[in-house]
Amino acid sequence: MSVPVMKVTEMKWPALSLLDKDGIAEFAENLAERYLVFGPVAKGSEYVFAPVGKGEVLELNYHTTILPPKKLLHQPFEVLFSFHEDGIQENIVEQPKQIIFGIHPCDVHAIQILDKAYSVEYEDPYYMNKRKNTLIIALNCSEPAETCFCQSLGTGPFLKDGYDLLLTDIGEAYLVEVGSEAGMELVEAVNLRPAARVALVEKQKVYENARRKFRKRLLTQGLHELLESNFRHPIWEKLKEECLACGSCTMVCPTCFCYNVVDKLDLSLKSGKRTREWDSCMLLEYAQVALGHNFRKDRDARVKQRIYHKLLYYEPQFGTLGCVGCGRCIKTCVKKIDITDVVSRIRGE
Amino acid sequence: MSKPKIAIYKMSSCAGCQLEILNFEPMLLDLLGAVDLSYFVMAKRENEEGPYDIGLVEGAITCGEEISRLKKARQQCRMLVAFGSCACYGGLPSIKNWTSEREIEERVYPQPHLLESTTAYGIDHYVTVDAYLKGCPASREELLEFVKGVLLGIKPYLRPHSVCVECKLHENVCLFTSQGKVCMGPVTTAGCGALCPANNKPCEGCRGPANDANTESLARTFDEYGLHRSDVVRLFRKFAGMTPEFSRGAEVL
Ligand code: SF4
Ligand code: SF4
Ligand code: SF4
Ligand code: SF4
Ligand code: SF4
Repeated sequence: MSVPVMKVTEMKWPALSLLDKDGIAEFAENLAERYLVFGPVAKGSEYVFAPVGKGEVLELNYHTTILPPKKLLHQPFEVLFSFHEDGIQENIVEQPKQIIFGIHPCDVHAIQILDKAYSVEYEDPYYMNKRKNTLIIALNCSEPAETCFCQSLGTGPFLKDGYDLLLTDIGEAYLVEVGSEAGMELVEAVNLRPAARVALVEKQKVYENARRKFRKRLLTQGLHELLESNFRHPIWEKLKEECLACGSCTMVCPTCFCYNVVDKLDLSLKSGKRTREWDSCMLLEYAQVALGHNFRKDRDARVKQRIYHKLLYYEPQFGTLGCVGCGRCIKTCVKKIDITDVVSRIRGE
Repeated sequence: MSKPKIAIYKMSSCAGCQLEILNFEPMLLDLLGAVDLSYFVMAKRENEEGPYDIGLVEGAITCGEEISRLKKARQQCRMLVAFGSCACYGGLPSIKNWTSEREIEERVYPQPHLLESTTAYGIDHYVTVDAYLKGCPASREELLEFVKGVLLGIKPYLRPHSVCVECKLHENVCLFTSQGKVCMGPVTTAGCGALCPANNKPCEGCRGPANDANTESLARTFDEYGLHRSDVVRLFRKFAGMTPEFSRGAEVL
């Protein structure tokens, strides 16, 4: 497999530059003067995307974050509008420009899926308002975590497009590639060191090295037929016994887009807020309708729904699998239920 | 609907749930604008006679005298609410249920022959219950949601799913998978905002079983984490051992 970069002659944004490692904090602070900048920072033994700039230390060597950067575009809790006796008041405010800094290739791919989910049939104004004002400074992965399997899905460890700037750790510095006009402006504003083209050879080496480090894979060949013909495989009964229906796997998934709408009334009962929050098909109440009927009462039906949605149902709708191989659902599951393992067990491996 | 009259009854409990109402300060005046706290012995000297619209019962039922007071409360109130985990499931008082009454009475009271204590049950063991407000203590936010629901004549939104959902929505570090501390969150009803994990303490299960609590599976994981069988039993019996779900968890190993 060749390194996924464009040939130098075809590059629309010719500048290749270098960002010294000890210059990262300054670079981020500089950006923070003009943008809201979110990047990976430590939280206990884990990492989260949080505002960076003043004081917060960017941890670009992070493995993955608890919640995906999706939370910056589709928030876990969000007020949609306020209502009162005379009408409603939209809550779509002027969105300050934000930068997601250090986002991994899998999470960039996930955002591309969400872009479709929230715009193709119906445009979601809340998501799109934030999305249109978001720049992406991606970071190629040189050290995949033990739960990562993006390589099997073509969503990592290196990124081909979908970024404004792309960083690669090539040892002594980050190689910075430009992917858009907006990215070009960012680079020009901070005066980075130009890089020689030979840096791309370094990048290729890092890529080859990263590819060898994956410990998980999900074979996609014939996946549709496999899943379609195994709707009654005994594994579902086993997973029904195991799964706690806790919902964690979907809460952390960068491509899950389900939400629940809840009205929060003031005690006056005359005004209130319509809010939404992330929902999950793993929860019993998810498929319950008025008068109480539940279409997915059994836990095996819900376990299957999640895995089938990710690996089978997204494709006809969005032209791509719904899993980007970030590994969060594996890492977060108390029962160690592993989507890659489920597929290999169905394959009889 | 005119201002509903609320009565608050105390059974075997620590009074912590009632205290939550008094601790409501920022909202208490608004609440009093919407309802009449007609019978609230802990808070006022003058209390009105029934009937009432809503009865909040705090505490487990642990003796005959409480059974008769509970039945009377049921007659006096249009809606009866189990207020807090003791009233919902027996709560903390129910930890005594696996020891004989004699042994328990002797351990606590100097003159056990004066007592007639019975197995600790939630109030629905004896009377029909219209709503359950879980938690040790019950959540003020949920009480408020419930009151608003009554005023509007709609079903309030009370979270039925696991604590993990709220824990994740707040992006807490998972104590279970990241730090190897066993946590009851995956099988416990949310609604507390994942209070304990947010403060670096595993969930103890105080709100009782979530709507699809797979306690047997969680108990097997506790076992894999090296917990002794008796610790697993204690975890499941601490607040809601009388529920079918938590009792399955306590007994599976
Ligand atoms: S995280 Fe694991 S146990 Fe929880 S719902 Fe998902 S698969 Fe089930
Ligand atoms: S299904 Fe799991 S591995 Fe795939 S994108 Fe979602 S969280 Fe990541
Ligand atoms: S149906 Fe389930 S797996 Fe699919 S997006 Fe919604 S929560 Fe995620
Ligand atoms: S800390 Fe407990 S409640 Fe929070 S996600 Fe982990 S298991 Fe669930
Ligand atoms: S986290 Fe668990 S023990 Fe703590 S308040 Fe919530 S339900 Fe109770």
